[in-house]
Amino acid sequence: MLRRYFPSLGVILAIVAILLCLPHFYSNQSFLFNMMLYLALAEGLNIIYGFTGYLPFGYVGFFGAGAYGAAIAITLLHISPFFGVIIGGIAAVLIGIILIPLLRLSGAYFAIANLAASQALYFVVANPSLEKITQGPYGIDLSSVYNADASYYTMLGVLVFAMLLVAYMRNSNFGLSLLAIKEDQVTASLAGVNVVKARSIAWMLSAFVAGLSGAAFGWYTAVFYPSTVFSLDVSVFTIVFVLFGGIGTVAGPLVGTLILYSMYNFIGISTPQYFQLFYGLLIIVLVLFLPDGVASILQKGKVYVP
Amino acid sequence: MCPNGKHLLKVEGLVKKFGGFRALNGVNIDVREGQIVGLAGPNGSGKTTLINVISGVYRPDGGSVEFDGRSVYKLPSHKIVRMGINRTFQVPKPLAGLTVWENVKLGAVYGSREGNRRETVRQALEIVQLHNMKDSVSADLTFAQQKLLGLATALATKPKMLLVDEIAAGLSHQELLWIAEMLLRIQKTGVAMIVVEHHLGFIDTLTSDVVVMNAGANLFRGSIQEAAQNDEVVEVFLGR
Ligand SMILES: Nc1ncnc2c1ncn2[C@@H]1O[C@H](COP(=O)(O)OP(=O)(O)O)[C@@H](O)[C@H]1O
Ligand SMILES: [Mg+2]
Repeated sequence: MLRRYFPSLGVILAIVAILLCLPHFYSNQSFLFNMMLYLALAEGLNIIYGFTGYLPFGYVGFFGAGAYGAAIAITLLHISPFFGVIIGGIAAVLIGIILIPLLRLSGAYFAIANLAASQALYFVVANPSLEKITQGPYGIDLSSVYNADASYYTMLGVLVFAMLLVAYMRNSNFGLSLLAIKEDQVTASLAGVNVVKARSIAWMLSAFVAGLSGAAFGWYTAVFYPSTVFSLDVSVFTIVFVLFGGIGTVAGPLVGTLILYSMYNFIGISTPQYFQLFYGLLIIVLVLFLPDGVASILQKGKVYVP
Repeated sequence: MCPNGKHLLKVEGLVKKFGGFRALNGVNIDVREGQIVGLAGPNGSGKTTLINVISGVYRPDGGSVEFDGRSVYKLPSHKIVRMGINRTFQVPKPLAGLTVWENVKLGAVYGSREGNRRETVRQALEIVQLHNMKDSVSADLTFAQQKLLGLATALATKPKMLLVDEIAAGLSHQELLWIAEMLLRIQKTGVAMIVVEHHLGFIDTLTSDVVVMNAGANLFRGSIQEAAQNDEVVEVFLGR
């Protein structure tokens, strides 16, 4: 039973080993933090998109909800940052629960409705009349609890959690039931699968990962604005990384993120306009020629991708 | 017929509308424990719709469906399945990207929740003789094999009642005999069935109790011999 988890766990251990060693050789901690952040977001998106087929363009909404949920817990309720991060995750799950009815929509309708929901949340958070709670457009200042190392390792913990979740889904009956629903809802429910429940659980787990990630990001960054943590770039980057790497596996989203986020960091930051063009073209090429990502090349050759 | 068995399924006055059209217009059917009832009728008479409504795939618009003394009317499919009803599809709907084993395993894990799952899957695949293909991707199966896979998945949920929709259509005489024998073997394990079949000949090998539908309503219930001598039945079968 446990043996089938070994390949996935091997991948996770390798990533953790690299992320624990790298800071000793490579001093750009902020790059490493953002890399972990996108690795976690990619796995979080993989949970909902890879296993159910719902593509949430408003995924950043959970990220922002997590960042603000944590920040409010830390500043107003004086909760320690570490537990604040968990509260951020829970805040995102609550938003996810409110949005469960969106799962009744299909395809593009779902994607657009979810995008609209994330923008609505953005406007609520940025509303000056909520200044006492969210600081409105003036942003959050967590510099009193700033701790680069603690938030770095918290992010690593979030990433490990996200990878373990996907490993579970990749190898468990629950994951299989989601893939079944994705293929044919009627057949899945006649096998006894509770379609609405399984899908909602995947949705909330995906929201939880994004919320934890947003919260850890907020803590690490210390000062941020609604436009930072509700930026559509977060959704777009995550989606492109996942599409590029491939869905439904632990390794696919990791590979996509490692390659593309590195490229973005070394080429893209200096010439962002070219990079956006490159991303746009990449999405088109992927959708047309490689809809299942890089990992699918191996899978077509009957290579097992953990 | 098995007159002393108690009622397992009792359908009364069942209505299903598509827009203004009544595909089921007050259908009655009852099945006793372990009994096989044949269901015949011309194309479009509502046989598949009846199965879809009983199994929760379509929501009914009136009437009642009682199973094992409890109402399953308007319940979602997964609940109906866990209570002991399952079905096969006239046009098979396997989970094409999953293997044969995975398809059946889902039924064992989510549909029955009892017994040794691995053993349940193995037995179901052996009954339909697909065990040697257990690692094949379902999309690679033939049409007939996909129907059998659907039957195996249904069996893995340990049903007390199976709704079998035209499983014999398009098969050779040899295959027909094999399927009939298999259904009878399944019946012997205590599974009741409604077997939908266009041709009375196949039903005749399974049971003497047949219901004939026409235009979404009951036309006849009795033995096959009586059916063959019933003017109305003869007319709907030959009048098309
Ligand atoms: N999903 C549907 N939408 C609209 N009409 C349907 C649908 N399913 C079945 N029907 C109609 O209901 C009637 C009964 O169909 P069906 O139950 O498939 O008949 P049978 O299985 O006896 O051949 C037909 O007239 C068919 O066109
Ligand atoms: Mg039919």
